[in-house]
Amino acid sequence: MTDPTPPRTAPTGGYLQAASLVALAAGLSSLAHPWLALPDIAMVFVLVIVAAAARYGRGPSVLASALAVATYDFFFVSPQHTFAVEDLRNVVTFATMFVIGQLIAALTLRLRNSESEARARESATAALLAERAALAEEARAASFKARTEEMRSTLLSAVSHDLRTPLAAITGAATTLRDSSVELDRARRDDMVATVCEEAERMERLIGNLLDMTRIESGALAVRREWVPLEEIVGSALTRLESRLARREVKLTLPDELPLVEVDPVLIEQVFVNLLENAVKYTPESTPVDLVARALPPPDGGVEVVVADRGPGFVEGTEARLFERFYRAPGVVGGVGLGLSISRGIAEAHGGSLSARRRAGGGAEFVLRLPPTGPAPEVPVEAGEGAA
Amino acid sequence: MSDPLVLLVEDEPQMRRFLRATLGAHGFRLVEAGTLAEALAALTAQAPELVLLDLGLPDGDGIDFTRGVRGWSHVPIIVLSARGREADKVEALDAGADDYLTKPFGVNELLARVRVALRHARSTETPGPVRAVGPLRIDLAKRVVTVDEREVHLTPIEYRLLAVLAQHVGRVVTQQHLLREVWGAGHTHQPHYLRVYMAALRRKIERDPARPAILQTEQGVGYRMRDPGDG
Repeated sequence: MTDPTPPRTAPTGGYLQAASLVALAAGLSSLAHPWLALPDIAMVFVLVIVAAAARYGRGPSVLASALAVATYDFFFVSPQHTFAVEDLRNVVTFATMFVIGQLIAALTLRLRNSESEARARESATAALLAERAALAEEARAASFKARTEEMRSTLLSAVSHDLRTPLAAITGAATTLRDSSVELDRARRDDMVATVCEEAERMERLIGNLLDMTRIESGALAVRREWVPLEEIVGSALTRLESRLARREVKLTLPDELPLVEVDPVLIEQVFVNLLENAVKYTPESTPVDLVARALPPPDGGVEVVVADRGPGFVEGTEARLFERFYRAPGVVGGVGLGLSISRGIAEAHGGSLSARRRAGGGAEFVLRLPPTGPAPEVPVEAGEGAA
Repeated sequence: MSDPLVLLVEDEPQMRRFLRATLGAHGFRLVEAGTLAEALAALTAQAPELVLLDLGLPDGDGIDFTRGVRGWSHVPIIVLSARGREADKVEALDAGADDYLTKPFGVNELLARVRVALRHARSTETPGPVRAVGPLRIDLAKRVVTVDEREVHLTPIEYRLLAVLAQHVGRVVTQQHLLREVWGAGHTHQPHYLRVYMAALRRKIERDPARPAILQTEQGVGYRMRDPGDG
């Protein structure tokens, strides 16, 4: 790994500065010469060599040592102004100056190396941390993918189970009817035929739900808002459920003064159909279903529709789970557990909400809230009332 | 009158087999076509009384076919399609189809729609002035509406709305069609007019306006005056 920090000085600059340090020392020493002894001057040069070595590295320190020795010898050691040396002890001084320079340069280099190593380690650590973060991100993505996979496999197993069960019943009943070796009395025959019809209807509902869910999940749910009387949507939902509600009491409370709502009537009808179907499916035939609508007072505004039953209700604390895809209340047979999550998806696409709560006195209540969207448009009143 | 001849335009063999058996058992004669070209040939050569039309055919789209046929024939066309979206229904009805059934459908539903379409086609020559649907009676000549023999007072718009629906008893009439007929071409973008007046009309005619037995909504498509006798 390379040292990411640039050298403190360019090499030529180092040599130049080392040389000028020596020149500075020479100048100061010659000025102070009258008050200084020769060893003191030697110490000044040693100081300069140490500085050059510490600061500019081995090359400049060699230059500084050589220059210092030469200058010291030439200007201060007698005989002055020659390179000749009288006292041999001065040679020891020269050697000492030179060696100190090299030692300091070597130490500095080692220090600098270990510093850049530390820096390299530091950046390696940073890289490692980044890598770890990337791995964590990857792990998150993988776990999301795993969850998606899990969802998909839940979907697949739920779908294949819920499609195969009615198909099995249809195939069984139809092949029995075809089998000429079996004598069926009228009642049994009718039973078989009823099985085929009912199970086919169940498959149709399931496929419809799956298509709706796919549309909501993929964000392809287009909300086409129109101003509609709530009563009309309730009415068309009841018409669609006519045969399923034939033996069920549905009590409607729709005040005359309900405002028009600006919603997608096809989608909101689907919500009512799902809620009413659920009530019929999960509660005894003898119990009534109530549908109560009211305008919400300001500041919230909008409308609220409650579909309430007198069935077994649900276990406290499972309210949220009811809206999960493929959730089925324990002990419930049939249905794939998509109706409520589709309905909530539709409510939310309208900026509204759908929630569940336990009903006082027993049963379940589903509460659809649709926020206000603005003043309803005017419908011109006809001039003359009366027989046309 | 001999057994009515029905032209079945459908390319899927299993649907053809099922419809052949069903319609045959209920007293209809059948001519089958697997493509629009065959359908056109059968339509001109055999003059069927009714067409059952699948939309996705190998040589083209049933909606274009419907539009083309409407240029020269009033033969009732009932669309049978797996395309269940409201927009598809509206498109087919606006192209001139008389009715629309989404696959899968029950035989009773099919037969009811076929009977309505045939009755309507046969009666166009001599439409009487009186329409009776359950407890509702509309005298188009005298412009008098009664429910359970009690006269009901309607505004001019309510009356026009009811009259248009009464001309199509048993069949769905699209929102656009009603807006055009009742309010005029300039108001087709104001469906809330229609909804508000339908609500008012129901309050005067239905026993329980929230559970309409006569004036039914096909959400996203239009309205149908249901003849309770047709189930």
